[in-house]
Amino acid sequence: MFEFLIHVSIMACLYGLLSLSLNLQVGFAGLVNFGQVILFGCGTYGAAIAFSHQLGPVAGIALGIVFAVVVAAAFARLGRNLGADYWGIATLAVAEVLRILANNEAWLTGGAQGVSGIPLLFGDKPRPMGPLMTLGLCVALLIAAWWLCQRLTTSRYGLALKLMREEPQLAASLGYDLAVLKTQTLMVAAVLAAASGFVFAHYITFVGPDQLVSSETFLIWAMVIIGGSGNHLGAIVGAILMQFLFAFVPFVKDALGLPSEYVAAMRLTLVGGGLLVFLMWRTQGLIPERIGGKQNG
Amino acid sequence: MVQFVVDVLIRAVDLALIAIGLSSVYSLIRFPNVALVQYATTGALLALCLQMAGLPLVVAAIAACALVGIIAVVLNVIVFERLLRAGSAIAMIGSLALSMMFSAIFLVTAGPRPKRFELEINPPLRFLGARLTEHQLMSVGISALAIIVFALILFRTDLGRCMRATATNSVLASATGIDTRKVTNTVVFLSGVMAALGGIGLSVKGEMSAQLGLDMLLPVFAAAILGGLGNALGAAVGAVVIAAAETMVTNVNFGPLFGASVLFIPAAYATAASFLLLVVVLLIKPYGLFVSEVKRV
Repeated sequence: MFEFLIHVSIMACLYGLLSLSLNLQVGFAGLVNFGQVILFGCGTYGAAIAFSHQLGPVAGIALGIVFAVVVAAAFARLGRNLGADYWGIATLAVAEVLRILANNEAWLTGGAQGVSGIPLLFGDKPRPMGPLMTLGLCVALLIAAWWLCQRLTTSRYGLALKLMREEPQLAASLGYDLAVLKTQTLMVAAVLAAASGFVFAHYITFVGPDQLVSSETFLIWAMVIIGGSGNHLGAIVGAILMQFLFAFVPFVKDALGLPSEYVAAMRLTLVGGGLLVFLMWRTQGLIPERIGGKQNG
Repeated sequence: MVQFVVDVLIRAVDLALIAIGLSSVYSLIRFPNVALVQYATTGALLALCLQMAGLPLVVAAIAACALVGIIAVVLNVIVFERLLRAGSAIAMIGSLALSMMFSAIFLVTAGPRPKRFELEINPPLRFLGARLTEHQLMSVGISALAIIVFALILFRTDLGRCMRATATNSVLASATGIDTRKVTNTVVFLSGVMAALGGIGLSVKGEMSAQLGLDMLLPVFAAAILGGLGNALGAAVGAVVIAAAETMVTNVNFGPLFGASVLFIPAAYATAASFLLLVVVLLIKPYGLFVSEVKRV
């Protein structure tokens, strides 16, 4: 049970990173990104490709970040003159195309079988110590990412992002280059997501295209909306809450004696129902965005 | 060549039905309803249940279409009218959440295994050298008829004139005495009926699975966006383009182009082709191939 809790905590931290990253895009810059999971995938496949070419983990994280920045640049280029709903669908389409590529180009990605045997980060440590150290790393990463996001969004830069979200034309008239702002935000968010993917790959030790289905993106969306979009702490709380709820679904299923497809159905209901309830009755989420300047932010 | 045209038509009509529904609702309430593809699965599932209950297929299909239309109106009144007050991006995410709830219901009621309609199996007919089965011919005929009826409603009746007026300028339309809420709900009903018909058409030709709707999500959106969201008949053209691209990728031998005798693109890339087409078109023409506003009332 102790090791299971550590596992869930590690996953919660990794999803927390993804949720922070999406929150930066959605909650602050107003970018409706439905392809978030592929930025995570850049990190996992960076680690996988570096491993299968015996390049070592440093090359892995570098590769992952390069992939993620390239994809983010492509997303930003697409978003230059698209409406939010068109852009959302376009990012979903790009993410699906890349997933299909990963599924079929076996020479590079291992195809549908994926890449397995990626070494654990602290594999040489005895049993309870290794996962604990991974958890420590994940918590440290999450805090660092939170600090970075906080610095970014309480500065003038953050105000520019919020202005772009609320009044894009006013922001443009004040001399902000919206295309540059969007590109920078997406790239910062992409690096956070890729970092999460890299650690994930070295923790689960397996990377495959099935980890990149679009329902993962919607799960991250639920974390952001339920936690409170536009609030970093909210995004982290949403991620931890959803991960722990998800982890205990199989126990509920066993307790009620239901067949195994109910696990998937219950998780879908949690994500979809949670999203819908919050969108309809509490759009600001559990921890609402703080409106105003530095004195209360 | 004839076989190619037949294949494209078979694929295009069902796509077109759902895409037209998506586009015409978008023209009135300005958000793309992701849950519409799940209405298609609901239609197929209901028709299947009614057929198993002993009704003939045609009666079961008509009843299922009407039921789905009613479900669409009820959801529009309860969920989307409320969400739209918070903005179209919120409504779109809400429709996504709703579609996850649908997936959960399908998993629990229909189970993960695909199902088929009970149909007698006949040898395929020959038409100008192309092969197609009786069921394919019937379903293509019915779907094409439905598209024509919808076009007639849109351009030849009072209701259609009200719809076009509301789409062009809803404030002005209500000022001239049009009940825009009633018009919107009528169109939502029609979109539900068409989506259900599309879903039934798809599962008569193949099989009904819980994934049916989600698999159609990107092709349908690609078709609707290609035609310019909000332009109902543009969506039909978009569906033909998407179907042609998918069929071309799987059925055409590209060998002669590259000096090889046989060169086929892997079938897994059929869906990727339509998404890629969507992304390219959005890069060149950000609002689709056809202008989305109805010019003349």
